Amino acid sequence: MPIPHRDSWAGSVLESLGIAVLVHAYGAIRIQGNPPDWLRSIWPTMTAPDATLPGSSPFLENFLIDARACWAEGGEKRVRSGAWIEQTADGTELSLEATALTAGGQAILLLEKLGDVFEAKKSMLQKARETVIAYQRLNSELQKKEILLNCISEEMNAALANVITSLRLIEMEKDPRRIAQLLSLASRATEEQQTLINKVLNVFAAELEGLRGRDGAAIAEAKLGDAIRAAEENVAAQFADKGVRLRLAGSGIDETRVAMNSTHLTRALSTLLENGLQGAPVGDEVQLSFGEESGSVLIRVSDNGSSFPPDICANLFSRAGTAAPGPQASQLPLQFCRIAVANCGGEIGYETRKDGGNTFWIMLPTVTATK
Amino acid sequence: MIQKKICLIGASGVGKTSLIAKFVHSMFSDKYLTTVGVKIDKKTVSVDGAEVMLMIWDLEGDDEYQRLQTSYLRGTSGYLLVADGTRQITLDQAIEIQGRVAAATGPVPFLLALNKSDLASQWEIDQSRMDDLTARGWKPFQTSAKEGAGVEEAFVELSRQMIHPH
Repeated sequence: MPIPHRDSWAGSVLESLGIAVLVHAYGAIRIQGNPPDWLRSIWPTMTAPDATLPGSSPFLENFLIDARACWAEGGEKRVRSGAWIEQTADGTELSLEATALTAGGQAILLLEKLGDVFEAKKSMLQKARETVIAYQRLNSELQKKEILLNCISEEMNAALANVITSLRLIEMEKDPRRIAQLLSLASRATEEQQTLINKVLNVFAAELEGLRGRDGAAIAEAKLGDAIRAAEENVAAQFADKGVRLRLAGSGIDETRVAMNSTHLTRALSTLLENGLQGAPVGDEVQLSFGEESGSVLIRVSDNGSSFPPDICANLFSRAGTAAPGPQASQLPLQFCRIAVANCGGEIGYETRKDGGNTFWIMLPTVTATK
Repeated sequence: MIQKKICLIGASGVGKTSLIAKFVHSMFSDKYLTTVGVKIDKKTVSVDGAEVMLMIWDLEGDDEYQRLQTSYLRGTSGYLLVADGTRQITLDQAIEIQGRVAAATGPVPFLLALNKSDLASQWEIDQSRMDDLTARGWKPFQTSAKEGAGVEEAFVELSRQMIHPH
């Protein structure tokens, strides 16, 4: 099989794909035709047609050991180097991948400048790894909380056991002095319990403070466009999995800033989109619409699924809702949405659509762009 | 000049690239940018009066998405095993990875860097884990790519072990 030359149409195709073809013969590896610009930017000595690949890349040197083994074996075997980064003379980093194969009886080395597909893979790995790290941190935090709660419950149990024992003894005791002692013991144990309960409440109050953000609504600010895009990315895989489309309706989101912590806004929007997805029939769509009017923005997430029963609707955002989880909406995250939205002076709600389906909405105060 | 290849190995997000950026370029960024593939940097260090040119291979984090390619370890004189001290699981992963690396490279010097030591309040490696590492014969270095603490020391000590193997 002839090797495509750079001046042939096949060579042009390879060049447009960012692939340089090199042939290994007589101990040297030579480019076929003129070296492409990107190759010259890395190895400036490769200027002429049939130029030799210099031995200045430690990565390639290492790969060539595998490549030579592949060429020696011949046949249809090919080996790939995996991605690596080389720097051009001006410091630009290029991601490359090499492939060794045998074709037409010749030992071929393909050097590929990785492009959009690689960047997409990189972006996907970035998100996946960020998620894994966030999950590990959350898991570790949960374990710490579990230990803390276990310690608290142990201490509360001990105090409660003291109260119960004292009361039982009082029941049988006739000596007033001894009864007074036991009452005092029970009283101290009760006070201990009260202190522990207060400690627990303080811990949860601190958690809530963290959730609300110490800066408060007056300072917190989020770009609506950024939050919507981040939320969209968060749920993209789930939407793809169910074959549901996300349709955005409205304009001017990039100019709109709302008075809410951006992380909380993204989380709240992600929750509403997840709820919309749960309700949406397979292959259908979820609509996210937004409109701005008189100092506030209304964001609506609608699906065409079956509407929630009235008893679920009544408690969708409340603590009571968690006691009787509905089949579709995830209520604990909705509680978070309610607290986070209410804290920045916004409102959250739900309505059944006239023609079937559900709409969750958030109304948030907008802020004038200052930064 | 002596030339040595070293590899940085560990789970994703433990700070391998940041350690190299700090050591080679004296730079640090808080933003996490995952490494995909391999990047090679060079730096010369002075070890006991000898100049050692380090070829530092920054390898992609080993995780469920990408396993470590042992062919990249070929010819390495030593490696820096990196874990994130604020995520204990990355230490478990480092121990598991070290087993695979040792099988591929044979007995070459390595050091364990427990990175992110600046995040003291989130530190998850307790004394019992440290004792466990000592029992393995490992002498972990606490490093902070952010503040630079222990970074140079870890690379120099690894270089020392490479040029003066026991």
